Amino acid sequence: MLSRSALGRHTQRAVRRSWQQQNRGLAAPASGSFAYEAGDAQGIKFASRDIPGPVASLAIVAKAGTRYQAFPGLTEALQLYAFKNTERRSTLRIQRESELLGSALQTYHSRENLVVGAKFLRDDLPYFVELLAEVAQQTKYAPHVLHEEIYPIMKLNQQALLANTTAMAQNSAFGLAFHRGLGESINASSSLPISKYVDAESVADFAASAYAKPSFAIVGNGVAQGELNKWVGEFFTDIPSQPAYKLESQQSKYFGGEERISHGSGNSMVIAFPGSSSPTGSSYKPEASVLAALLGGPSSIKWSAGSSRLLQATEAAPGLKIQTKSDIFSDAGLLSITLSGSANDVAKNAKPVVDIIKAIASGISNEDLAKAKALAKFKELEYGQSTQAAMELTGAGLVQGGKAYQIDEVGKAVDSVTAEKVQQLAKEALENKASVSAVGDLYVLPYAEEIGLRV
Amino acid sequence: MSQPSLAPYVLKRPWLMRWAKPLSKWYFDAAAYRKLGLRSDDLIPEESEIMQRAMKRLTPKESYDRVFRMRRAFQCSLAHQLLPKEEWTKPEEDIRYLSPIIAELEAEVTERQGLEAMVINKPNTKR
Repeated sequence: MLSRSALGRHTQRAVRRSWQQQNRGLAAPASGSFAYEAGDAQGIKFASRDIPGPVASLAIVAKAGTRYQAFPGLTEALQLYAFKNTERRSTLRIQRESELLGSALQTYHSRENLVVGAKFLRDDLPYFVELLAEVAQQTKYAPHVLHEEIYPIMKLNQQALLANTTAMAQNSAFGLAFHRGLGESINASSSLPISKYVDAESVADFAASAYAKPSFAIVGNGVAQGELNKWVGEFFTDIPSQPAYKLESQQSKYFGGEERISHGSGNSMVIAFPGSSSPTGSSYKPEASVLAALLGGPSSIKWSAGSSRLLQATEAAPGLKIQTKSDIFSDAGLLSITLSGSANDVAKNAKPVVDIIKAIASGISNEDLAKAKALAKFKELEYGQSTQAAMELTGAGLVQGGKAYQIDEVGKAVDSVTAEKVQQLAKEALENKASVSAVGDLYVLPYAEEIGLRV
Repeated sequence: MSQPSLAPYVLKRPWLMRWAKPLSKWYFDAAAYRKLGLRSDDLIPEESEIMQRAMKRLTPKESYDRVFRMRRAFQCSLAHQLLPKEEWTKPEEDIRYLSPIIAELEAEVTERQGLEAMVINKPNTKR
């Protein structure tokens, strides 16, 4: 005999189940979505996309890049402090545990963001949310860690920068273009007295600002929104709602100019013009990426210059490395052409590079435009699809504008670019002041004025 | 490096503490290192790797003071003298400035050995 109450329970369950089935739309996929869903857990912003696959990644993206650091070197020091001793676990234990679970911890910084994250197997999500929460809330900023582990690495990084003429030239070009803020060198330069600015207290203060609710976002790939929400709510409980001090940087302004640095090993030259901000920023110009694709960088086809204008023009110097990049930031951007190779190659080909920009300013064929647009779109989408870049862009968009970076919109924006817009951008670049930086054999490397640029 | 100590055991038991306190007072007086201006942590032998690393973790001020105390004590020892009474280390000054660091370093070493000797068992069932 069925009792009345038991029958009632079954009926209730059956009713609930049928309601749930109705609620699920027919076309909704069971799992897997390419767009980021943004959310908020107790004031902590997070975004995730549930891309199918066994590997997931998760990162804290903090608005604590070199642009926002209060003193030079702080961002780098904070990056190196990630996954070091916390109140609950030692450095060694963190490393061994994450190794045993099968994962990769990664930290890096850019001019605007500090990214602290991990790649891991999908099932281990709770462990890694907890780990990231520990890094943000409970890292011990002990002086001995700084002396034993962080200063030595910073010093090696300084030496690596000193030996790399291309990085030096790029840093110098950013400095010329934006002076302070965005122009801050991305790695501490070799002559920076690190210990004067970076000590345990200044890093701890910076961390209290970088890991405060308004300054960071959590971004997940291959992570379900609901689960991330739950675990973030559970582990990120001690995050301060206000930063220790405000991480500020004034609105970027383009200056431009010329800098020449004598260097014994290697020759690099960077020619840079104002570019586009990120899609979530204010001055978004998709034509910058099209112009970059039109000028071209390393060829995407083997043994051929492809459709890249710059490679076609410099075919006589196969040893010359040439690359065009449109770097985008929250409120400004830089379109830069980097030449590196032997001093003579760089010197001879700098002028043709400028001539090509002039030619583009006076007109481009439809075929070239179509090719460049296709390439630009492919590059943007490919870049955005790679989890690492997408995570940084999404996190930065969330922190700075409250909007996640949506890859589909970027594709559409590139489609809408016209020839006039690209020409206009090239024309403006030539009319305004350029940022030109030469590092290497200064007797051979040309001045900006000699290659026909205004500085 | 960190010496075994009965102190935590005694501290927990007030009756034992009442009994042991005069004894410890007498012992500290007889050991006489305070009369040379030293602290108890200055007596830990330096000739070990952990101690060397621990000393590097002292703040510059602590490190300087440590060397000063040692030189002063050495000088007294050569002269076969004790310091004047007002320069003796007071019991409240005799803090353990080095032992916590040593304990931390020892814990690090033990943890590393533990992790190195660990045997990993994969769970049979999926979590």
